[in-house]
Amino acid sequence: MNELEQLSVEETWINDKEQIIDQLMQEYSDGILYLVFTYVKNRTTAEDLTQEIFIKCYEKLDQFNQQASIKTWVYRIASNHCKDYLGSWHYRKIKLNEKMWDYLPSKSKQVEEEVISKNQENSLYRAIMALPIKYREVVFLHYYEELSLAQISKVTTININTIKTRLKRAKELLRDKMMKEV
Amino acid sequence: MSDPFVNLKSAMKEAIFKDFSFSDERKDAVKETIRGKHSQQQLHSWKEQTILAVLESIQHEPKNGYDISTHLFHKKDFSFQNNEGQLYTLLHLLENKEIVISKWIEEKKYYFLTMKGIKYLATSKQSSSKKQVSIKHLLEEASL
Repeated sequence: MNELEQLSVEETWINDKEQIIDQLMQEYSDGILYLVFTYVKNRTTAEDLTQEIFIKCYEKLDQFNQQASIKTWVYRIASNHCKDYLGSWHYRKIKLNEKMWDYLPSKSKQVEEEVISKNQENSLYRAIMALPIKYREVVFLHYYEELSLAQISKVTTININTIKTRLKRAKELLRDKMMKEV
Repeated sequence: MSDPFVNLKSAMKEAIFKDFSFSDERKDAVKETIRGKHSQQQLHSWKEQTILAVLESIQHEPKNGYDISTHLFHKKDFSFQNNEGQLYTLLHLLENKEIVISKWIEEKKYYFLTMKGIKYLATSKQSSSKKQVSIKHLLEEASL
């Protein structure tokens, strides 16, 4: 094969890539959406970021290593993308604005919280979402996605012992919180 | 003591996820963006035939860009019609790949085949294919 031929990119690969992304979305888009929501706690932002994540997957598909699991690969891209977002100037500015609103009296917010806290499941949900991010991510991946510690380690690049410690600490934090509420 | 997270999955579903899903509209938006990127890529890829036609045009004598494009029109290759700039992009990349070299003669840039270019032309002529030669790889190497 000469070099000019080696330079050839089969048209089909690009079509394949489109199909692969389509399949990935069928399979994982809700899971990714929930993971993103767990990070950012906002529905619209979660949807926007999920969209960006699948586009990123398309761009990075050439780099996917066949030996890795495609699921952990996609989740890892998602996790990194969320962390980038949370560290971004844009996000921190929005958050500051929201905090300002917190200082202003608002009745609607109180009503909303009352509705939410009506049942116990919601109080568990709220307690989880109130955990610091580093606990929230491992808790979600372990208990919602039911990933193994090794898989979580691949997704988050946190080492297994740290994950264990965080899960343990998250449980303690949650118990404290639930105790206070009761 | 029981694990406080045992009911996490059902709690999360009940509280938020049950009516929350990545909609078809959102999926379509992703596909549309991907297609947009794809057509952008196509802008930068030429038929192997076109690349060969460019090389053939300077096989016997060096030519400047304008003469090359005229040559292509005579050969009924209209890849660069209304888009002549792309021809220069291609020539530039072929230069980076040391397939052609250029020389300024009387304020015009003339392109010559290198030995490498002559070899490409000879071997590529034997195997005619309709494959697309993507500039992506050329670009990657050129930018190293």
